[in-house]
Amino acid sequence: MEQYYNKLMECVLEGEEEEAVEITRAEIEGGTDPLDIVQKCLVPILDDVGDKFSKLEIFLPDLIMSADVAKAVKDEIRAHLLSSSNGSESSGKVVIGTVQGDVHDIGKNIVATLLEVNGYEVIDLGNDVAPYTFIETAKREKVDIIALSSLLTTSMPYMVDVLKTLDGLGIRDQYKVIVGGGPVSAEWAESIGADGYSNDANEAVELCRKMMAERKAG
Amino acid sequence: MKSHTRLLTVLDRMDNGPVMEEKDFDKLISKTVRGLIKKYSLKYDRSEAIITDDDLADRFFEAGLELACTTGVYCTDTHTQMIFSKEEILQALRWAPDALTIGSGLDQCTIVTRRPEDPVVPKIVGGGFGAPIPEEWFSAVMESYAKEPVIDSIVGCNFFTTHGRTPKTRSPWEVLLAWREVELIKSAAQRAGRPGISIGVVENAVSEIGELSGSSYGGFPQCDWHHTCFVSELKTNYGLLIKVAHLVKTGCIIHSFYNPILGGYAGGAEGVAICAVAGIIMECVVNMATTFSICPTHPFYNCDTAPELIWAVSAAQQAVNRNTHLLTTVMTSPVSGPMTESLLYECATMATAATVSGTARIDGVRSAVGVEILHVTGLEARFNGEIAHAAAGVSRKDANEMIKEFQKHYVPYLDKRPIGKSFLEAYDPVKVEPTQEWLDMYGKVKDEVGRIGLKMKY
Ligand code: B12
Repeated sequence: MEQYYNKLMECVLEGEEEEAVEITRAEIEGGTDPLDIVQKCLVPILDDVGDKFSKLEIFLPDLIMSADVAKAVKDEIRAHLLSSSNGSESSGKVVIGTVQGDVHDIGKNIVATLLEVNGYEVIDLGNDVAPYTFIETAKREKVDIIALSSLLTTSMPYMVDVLKTLDGLGIRDQYKVIVGGGPVSAEWAESIGADGYSNDANEAVELCRKMMAERKAG
Repeated sequence: MKSHTRLLTVLDRMDNGPVMEEKDFDKLISKTVRGLIKKYSLKYDRSEAIITDDDLADRFFEAGLELACTTGVYCTDTHTQMIFSKEEILQALRWAPDALTIGSGLDQCTIVTRRPEDPVVPKIVGGGFGAPIPEEWFSAVMESYAKEPVIDSIVGCNFFTTHGRTPKTRSPWEVLLAWREVELIKSAAQRAGRPGISIGVVENAVSEIGELSGSSYGGFPQCDWHHTCFVSELKTNYGLLIKVAHLVKTGCIIHSFYNPILGGYAGGAEGVAICAVAGIIMECVVNMATTFSICPTHPFYNCDTAPELIWAVSAAQQAVNRNTHLLTTVMTSPVSGPMTESLLYECATMATAATVSGTARIDGVRSAVGVEILHVTGLEARFNGEIAHAAAGVSRKDANEMIKEFQKHYVPYLDKRPIGKSFLEAYDPVKVEPTQEWLDMYGKVKDEVGRIGLKMKY
């Protein structure tokens, strides 16, 4: 497993998707429990990658590349689990975007990428997204979490619009709504009735974990 | 204006350029930048605060020019790459103005091209650059800049509220915001005794709506400077190009800014500098701007004063100011806020680095990275300007050593967000005067900056 770990690490950092899938298949066929691969290899490797990014030893394109490799490895593992009818689910489904009138997307991209790295299925609507588009997508794709990013005090009110519209349509309790971005604060998030807020991308992953736990409990 | 004659070519390239997915353009930027870093042997040197080597500056220029020629600018509405040949780009640079008069009457001033180590004093812009301000204090905050004689031109803040409401961008509210900005900035200038001072506008025009309305009849005139920008990295869209088309057709001065992101598609400090050079060049070609600002951004601190970025700014500015006559500007965007010493050291660092790198206009200060309500004051902008006056003519070698000392006073706080106090505590907001405590702190840091070796003129 140690050899596999090192090889996988290399693949994740170099963006070698095909090789990662191949060595994973071989490892599973060699008898390693697929869940062990996730817990003991993929998760720590991705933590390490996240850590490297927070020290700027690697950059956003590397992070995106790693996310792609991780996704391919997860798909491979899922296929094996399904065939052994063990079942495995994604961490959760998130629709994310920067709200209307606002093109600041760097923070949102980092959050989306780290969520993907951590096994979430992420639908990224990009920037300048109208309130109703979030809701339409959430309904169509049956997401768990609606994640809104805003960097402008004058685009923050569109977050309120999303919540008000969900309320008006009577579907507010079907989704967790989380918010973030430069001027957004925990107090503000609470005051508008959002379910969660985080200050940075690592915390956003933690937050989503909490949201999913609450959903399962509730 | 002779540099505004390309509009139809620009729109043709927007419509007819090669089509590509946005994600692929991002990858193209990242791949091309990595290649250019190797090709031109560009390496960030952590032990130096700024670059001091002409040859390195020229290699950054060549790399930036090559990036501009290779990727062009991406339009996210048409999904096209707007490509221009090297000849077209050089032609645009050739006909860009090397001097610009802004403002009117007795308050006019002229910005001129500068070179690295130039003894000519750069022009100074003071303002909150989009920091959120509740409407009732907007005019007082703006007056705090306009009343500083070292400041040649002012730039607005953003309204946090208007008419007691929280306004929304790209909605009818944006029109009201633009007009409130016209009204309150002009009254601030009037009260300060500078009715003709030029203004950077329309700061509240997040979309094209505010710009179109705020620069229409009775609004901001041509001799103010009007903002447009590129989205990082090297992207534009209909909204931004609508602003450009409007400003060209109405004969307004175009000021264009671009913020490459450290750790993003540009990569590290070298990549940020290459993108900044390419961005300035393409803002000349596509946006037909007359003044060009960069404010590269740290992905975790949101500032431009982190050591990697100071180095990148010095590299990009020296590259452009040695190889073109463009009117460059740099904005100080520190993590610290009013009534902190670290804020003043962040200003001292950026204003010195930019001034000795040949920047024509020194802008600032977007204190507390422009996100804390009311956390900006005129006094730090005065200090930023005074540093620039003092640093004109200083050698890059001397500046490099001074900046290393300045940095010791704020770098340890970059991740602590020392946002300081608000305008209402740092100033007597009714008389629009700094408190004694804030003045004492300013005096103390000025003395220390002098001891470190930067001779203040005033
Ligand atoms: C880069 C930048 C730009 C770039 C954006 C490029 C891009 N592709 O995003 C450009 C140059 C295009 C730009 C344009 C403008 N900008 Co700007 N910009 C910035 C700047 C310098 C940095 C923002 C950034 O990317 N930070 C880095 C990222 C990583 O941080 P972040 O977004 O906060 O994200 C982190 C967390 O917040 C969190 N997070 C983010 N989203 C989410 C979502 C969820 C759900 C969760 C849980 C967490 C989370 O995780 C992220 C990672 O850790 C800020 C200054 C600042 N201090 O923020 C101004 C700033 C946001 N801009 C501002 C302004 C005014 C503008 C303009 C209107 C200027 C003008 N007059 O034209 C235009 C508007 C364009 C538009 N329509 O949106 C103001 C906003 C003021 C206000 N009203 O609130 C700011 C604060 C600066 C200022 N004072 O002027 N800008």
